[in-house]
Amino acid sequence: MSTNLGAEIIKTVGVTKRFGELVAVNKVDYLLHENEVAGIIGANGSGKTTFFNLVTGYFPPDEGTVYYKGEDITGTPPEQRVAMGMMRTFQLTSTFDNLAVIDNLVLSYFRAYQKHSLFHLFTNTCKKHRKNEKIQAIVETFELQDVADREVRHLGLGEKRRLEIAMAILAEPKVLLLDEPLAGLAENEIKAVLSVLRRHIGTQTILIVEHKISHVEDFLQRLTVMHEGRVIADGGYEECLRDPEVRRSYWQIDVSEDGVEEACS
Amino acid sequence: MNTFRWWRGILLAFFLLAIIRVFLPLPFSNEIIIFSIYVMGCSFLLGRVGFISFGQPAYLATGAYATAFYLFYFGANPFIGILIGVVAGLVMSLIVGPLFVRLRSDYFALVNLALAVIFYYTMQKVLAPITQGDNGLWFLANMTSTPIIDITRPKEFFTFAFLAALAIWALFKYLNDTLYGACALASKVNEDKVQFLGYSNFKIRFFGFIVANVTTAFAGSLYAIYLGFVSPEITSAHRCADPVVVTILGGVGTLYGPLVGAIAFTGMKDLIAGLIGNWELFIGFLLVFIMLAGEKGIWGSLEPQLKKVFSGKRV
Ligand SMILES: Nc1ncnc2c1ncn2[C@@H]1O[C@H](COP(=O)(O)OP(=O)(O)O)[C@@H](O)[C@H]1O
Ligand SMILES: [Mg+2]
Repeated sequence: MSTNLGAEIIKTVGVTKRFGELVAVNKVDYLLHENEVAGIIGANGSGKTTFFNLVTGYFPPDEGTVYYKGEDITGTPPEQRVAMGMMRTFQLTSTFDNLAVIDNLVLSYFRAYQKHSLFHLFTNTCKKHRKNEKIQAIVETFELQDVADREVRHLGLGEKRRLEIAMAILAEPKVLLLDEPLAGLAENEIKAVLSVLRRHIGTQTILIVEHKISHVEDFLQRLTVMHEGRVIADGGYEECLRDPEVRRSYWQIDVSEDGVEEACS
Repeated sequence: MNTFRWWRGILLAFFLLAIIRVFLPLPFSNEIIIFSIYVMGCSFLLGRVGFISFGQPAYLATGAYATAFYLFYFGANPFIGILIGVVAGLVMSLIVGPLFVRLRSDYFALVNLALAVIFYYTMQKVLAPITQGDNGLWFLANMTSTPIIDITRPKEFFTFAFLAALAIWALFKYLNDTLYGACALASKVNEDKVQFLGYSNFKIRFFGFIVANVTTAFAGSLYAIYLGFVSPEITSAHRCADPVVVTILGGVGTLYGPLVGAIAFTGMKDLIAGLIGNWELFIGFLLVFIMLAGEKGIWGSLEPQLKKVFSGKRV
């Protein structure tokens, strides 16, 4: 683990979310420090995405409190959390399919760097911002040059995934929450995305939900394991996966000779 | 897109309207112009903001009645009448907008219909002492001639309405290119992402609602001035689907759709009705055909062909 942790940035105390009988997230206490690079793993249905939804305000928790920099944000709507510096991506890639790739990025850029009241939305054309340096740089980083002018609905899954991550990173949020960002990407794309994320270590807080932990093992400073809505282990990568409860309950993890290989559904 | 630059579009629109004006009778041209402004509001709402409304006559009537009240009871200047109609449309949008735009699209369609029905009965029965019920308010003779452009005369009215339609058309064209336009399209397909990108769906929709319905109220005011009277008929329930029908007829989300649709619709109404009667039946079949053929509408189907022609010859 990193030695000097920053101030706490996201904290949840006893957050719970039920869907009917099912307790999708069960009294989770979680603490994320500034500039930490943390991961959450767990089998499908263990509540990772639901936990993300609680933290980012997609829906409110049934019980518990969410704090951002010590401030209670449990009832704060998502767009305000974005303004505070939180940005997320979705497990099922979420972009604006009826807009050009470049305009998806322009929308993210404009919110993050320009005054974006209705008045400013009205007085600025998209065209004016398309050539912006930051946007062009991110287009290059994520190798979206060839599709930049194309409508997103014509893109492949990998390209869409890259676009969504690019939109999030472009805004340079204080906290970046990525829900399975690598799913559906080819090996080389994964490498590229991770190398971009690496550049942000130390200046941004990053929380990743990832299925294939082998991809992120040398990247994460900290790991949290969820199982049936609860956190069952939290700490360094190695210690987490050696934890007997994790091994017992999180049976999906294959342990091969060279250590932990894969968590699959 | 770039091959079909927007000034070409404007020229084309000009051209179309000029042809109409030259070859067809003036009342027909005036009706088309007003109707296309009416449809532009609805088309923006449907194509950009993603809201289908079966109650556009409510806003049309708001503008028309506000203008009529002024010209019947208070003043004589038709321009002030229009101004008052537009302001009334704005006030109406500001009042019902915050309630309506929070609704899901299907409920939105119906709540507007309900508003139109309420408006109809209010004008016909509740306010009958003021509105003169079904007889309507007649104020053609009340209006005084205006300097520079005298819109109490049909010819000059056409010029005014024509310029106004172009201005509104250019405004919508501009809006489509702005960040607002992108936000509206974004909110139409993925409101979650809009929120998690930090924008407010509510503000985006509310603004779109206001723009669309102020435009609609403006069209209502023009109707009032042009006809010189307003009756509850303007918001009667069986006219509620008209702008939506014409929007689809012309092609949803296209800038020329409202114009093309208005020409086709008014044309069928006025010309075909004389020949075969049952023009609405004809439009019904046409709509079914259009939607089965891919929802593109008349303009949506023509546009790619025209683009080919234009880009082939000029670029
Ligand atoms: N909107 C919802 N309605 C009902 N059940 C849900 C909903 N979202 C998630 N669930 C359920 O909650 C549990 C946790 O789901 P999720 O948070 O998506 O898990 P994970 O992201 O770890 O795969 C699952 O059993 C899932 O079926
Ligand atoms: Mg998930």
